[in-house]
Amino acid sequence: MNEAVVAAGVSKRYGETVAVDDVDLSVADSEVFGLIGPNGAGKTTLVRALTGTTPVDGEITVHGEAPTAVDADRVGLLPQSFSPPARLTARELIDYYGGLYATARDTDDVLSAVGMAAAADSWYETLSGGQQRRVCVGIALVNDPDLLFLDEPTTGIDPAGRQSLWSLLEELADGGTTIVLTSHSMTEIQRLADRVGLLQDGRLVAVGTPAELIDSHGGESQLVIDTDQAAAAVDALTDADFAATPGSTEVVVDGVSPVEIGDAAAVLSTAGIEYGSLAWSEPSLDDVYLQLTGEAFAAGDADSTAVATPPDTPSPTGTESRQEGAQ
Amino acid sequence: MSRLRRIRAEAVAAWHSFLRRRTAVFFTFFFPVLLVVIFGALVRTQPTGGGLFAEPAAYYIPGYLATVVLFTPLSRVGSEIARHRDDNRFEKLATTPLGRGEWLLAHTLVNVAIIGLASLLILGLVVVLTGAAVPITPRLALLGPFIVGAVVLFCGFGAILGRLSSTQDGVIAASNTIAFPLLFLSDTFVTLELLPGWFAPLVDLSPLTYFARGVRALTYGPAIEAPYGRELAVVAVLAVGFFVAGAYAIPRTD
Repeated sequence: MNEAVVAAGVSKRYGETVAVDDVDLSVADSEVFGLIGPNGAGKTTLVRALTGTTPVDGEITVHGEAPTAVDADRVGLLPQSFSPPARLTARELIDYYGGLYATARDTDDVLSAVGMAAAADSWYETLSGGQQRRVCVGIALVNDPDLLFLDEPTTGIDPAGRQSLWSLLEELADGGTTIVLTSHSMTEIQRLADRVGLLQDGRLVAVGTPAELIDSHGGESQLVIDTDQAAAAVDALTDADFAATPGSTEVVVDGVSPVEIGDAAAVLSTAGIEYGSLAWSEPSLDDVYLQLTGEAFAAGDADSTAVATPPDTPSPTGTESRQEGAQ
Repeated sequence: MSRLRRIRAEAVAAWHSFLRRRTAVFFTFFFPVLLVVIFGALVRTQPTGGGLFAEPAAYYIPGYLATVVLFTPLSRVGSEIARHRDDNRFEKLATTPLGRGEWLLAHTLVNVAIIGLASLLILGLVVVLTGAAVPITPRLALLGPFIVGAVVLFCGFGAILGRLSSTQDGVIAASNTIAFPLLFLSDTFVTLELLPGWFAPLVDLSPLTYFARGVRALTYGPAIEAPYGRELAVVAVLAVGFFVAGAYAIPRTD
């Protein structure tokens, strides 16, 4: 498979600050490559390097050429913190940026694709933050690029809009567009990316498919038992060869496969231990991120939690980084 | 065709953006009107005939035109560059086929249109409010090349200012600091006789001096036989030089 983007030994310094540190990276044609990492890890600087909008040390080729020499009609970019002229309508903005290329997609098609057909004639400055970002995504797509760089494309977009944009990006990827995507949403990356690179302090510390990264760094599946009898539950489960650890009002059991959940429940019933719920989760990219960056994860990006509760017991809710299932 | 398409797209976007900033439109045209009213109609010469504005009204036409030819491109192009940089628009444009020279040309064309309209307004006001007599001769048509040349020159200058200043406020402050002395010390409103003798060579260093002298040779009766070719050539050469330097100064990277 041909490489759309190749970076070798790429480094970028701002004074004493190392923004990107000796990064090697390749993105194949038609691949969706996700870049994740904490704020300040170097994602945006790396995107700028790959698009030729910041000078760097090292070698970068895009479609076999230097980023500044590549045919601009083949590349699309949505920069982070990008704002187009505020007093043009969404339609005028798509027309304007489309006019900068030799050929461009039909304006109405682009507006429909990003869900902005209804607000097409509103000035950009009067749109909501999410609508503005959707217009910006439309601007990045207007030349129907072979290679698309999107720096946090769904920031500020509501869940429905995000789902719709994800579907659009999936359609583009299915059609052969190569996409380099940065995001703080692990859900987004896990859904869209064929491979993921995790940047930490400017260094690319892990690269692989989401499944590979989860296998390597995500840890084990877990069963979380909500109970006031944590100590007794731990004893009973340990006696049954489960790896259980106590919390104040919960017990965490590591390495539980879905088929073993029933066994664990049976152990608790036999020991006469009452519990509020059993919540099973498998490791996700969030866990990879936490493991590799050592950061405390701010709730809000995780998939919704699904929990099972026995009859007549309260159903607690909560959020966790893991992808959860119900039993 | 692609180049024309790109320049047209950029110019149309810039034109609409300008027209929809009502305050900018108002003051772009109101500022020269204010100048004509104050200096042309309100300020009186000394009873002895000396002092500022002692020349016939048409003598000051180059000065009034210089206000829009100088201030508008400097501040508009400079702050547009600062605005583009703040909003990461150059980062986006750097990945499109639009070149830096094409960007500056598009914005220069918009400025030519705006300043062309403002110049017509000024000429009309000067004639109506001050009773200035502008000789209608074929050479009056050369006013267009002078205005276009000066606008191109100062758009290039504005691009350099935009590159050097980190904020829109900085651009406005820098352009005012540069434009104000240029406006009054370029043989526009203040005659050379009112300046110290040693200052005359400095007046010759101002690009605006050649615009003022050339325009005066086209619009001021007593100077109507004066040569203007050298002035037009200087304005043209400087316009090319500043345009190239300005295009080069437009940021493509961070």
